[in-house]
Amino acid sequence: MAKARDIGRRMNSVQSTRKITRTMEMVATSKLRRAQLQVREARPFADRLTTVVENLVTPELAELEPMLRQPDRIRRAAIILVTSNRGLCGAFNVNLIRKARALLAELQASDVETEFHVIGKKGISYFRFRNVDMAVTRTDISDSPSPDDARSLIDPLAERFVREELDAVYVVHAEFKSVMSTPPITRRLLPVYVPQERPSREPYYILDPSADVILARLLPLHLVSSTYRALVENAAAEQGARRTAMKSATDNADDFLTTLRRQFNRARQQEITSQLAEIIGGAEALKG
Amino acid sequence: MDDTSRKLKVAVISPTRVGFEGTGDSIVVPAYDGLMGILYGHAPMMTLLGTGEVTVKNGSDVHRISVSGGFLQVVDNEVSVLAEEVGEPSSHGSGAGDAG
Repeated sequence: MAKARDIGRRMNSVQSTRKITRTMEMVATSKLRRAQLQVREARPFADRLTTVVENLVTPELAELEPMLRQPDRIRRAAIILVTSNRGLCGAFNVNLIRKARALLAELQASDVETEFHVIGKKGISYFRFRNVDMAVTRTDISDSPSPDDARSLIDPLAERFVREELDAVYVVHAEFKSVMSTPPITRRLLPVYVPQERPSREPYYILDPSADVILARLLPLHLVSSTYRALVENAAAEQGARRTAMKSATDNADDFLTTLRRQFNRARQQEITSQLAEIIGGAEALKG
Repeated sequence: MDDTSRKLKVAVISPTRVGFEGTGDSIVVPAYDGLMGILYGHAPMMTLLGTGEVTVKNGSDVHRISVSGGFLQVVDNEVSVLAEEVGEPSSHGSGAGDAG
C-alpha cells in the first residue's frame, strides 16, 4: 500500500495538469468562437463565387483562358497540406497527415511528380523527420488567417499553373462541419472544375464586359477565396479539436483525482489506525 | 402590387465579412466603367466592380458601403455585390441632411 504522502504528491501533480488542460480548454473555446464567426462570414462569398464561376465557365471559354486549362494528363501536381502550429489537439494533425500521405501515394502511383507545400509546424516536423522533401514550408499563418495569407500561398502556384509547370493543385485541410466533426478533406483548387455540358445559363444574363473578361478577373478571386476558406475552416477545426481534446483530458484528470483521493483517505486512515494500535499497545505494556 | 413586395434583396459581401444584408428600393453600385443604378425588375446581369461606394436606398434610409474590386450579380431582384474589400457601412435617415 502506497504511503499517504506519496499519493498526496501524485494528487498535486494531477491537479496542476488539470489546471493547465482546463485553461487550454477555455482558451480554445474563446478562440473557437472567433474562428467560427470567421468561417460563417467567409462561406457566403465563397459559395456565391463558386456558383457564379460554374455558371459562366463553358468548355469553349476554358480553351481561351489559361487559368481554366484542363490538362489531358496530370504530370506535375502540388499538394498544399494545412496543419496547425501547436499540438495538444488530439488526432487533428495525424488525421490530416494521413489524408495527405494517402493522396501523395495515389498520385505517385499514377506517375505524377508531386511537390509538397506544408503549412504549420506539426506537418513540417512530421515530414522533416521522415525526410520527405517539401517545396514550401510555412509557419507564419496565424489562428485567424487573412485573405492576404491565402493570396501569398496560391498566387505563385496559379502562375506556375498558367505557365504549364503544374497541372493540378490540391489542398488538404480539415473541414469545419461542427465542433465535434472536423474531418480532413481534399479539394482540388486547380484546374478549376468545368461542367462538361453547356450550362443553360438560365436566366439569360446581360454580361458587361463579356464573359471572358469577367472570368479573367473572377478566377484569381475565386482561387483566393477557396484557399482562404480552407485556411479559415482549418483554423476553426483546430480550435474545435483542441477544445474536445482538452475537455476529455480535464475529465480524465477529474476521474483520476477521485480515485486518488479515495486511495489517499484510505492510506491516511490506515496510518492513523496503526499508529493508534501502537500507542495503545505501548500504553498497555507500560501498565504491566 | 403592394409596397413591400417590390423591394430588392441586397447583399454586400467580401471574403472576410458580410458588409450589408437587407432590402432596398434602389441600389447604386460603382461598376467598372461608372456608376450603375438598379431598380426592382432589373434584367439578370453580371458585371465587374470598380472602386467606390454602394448606396442602398430603402424608404428614407440610405446605407453607404465603400467597396473595391469584385463582382456584381443581379438575378430575380436579388443583388449580390461580391467585393474584394468592403468598408464599414454608414446609414443616414432622410433627416441627416444628405440629399444623396
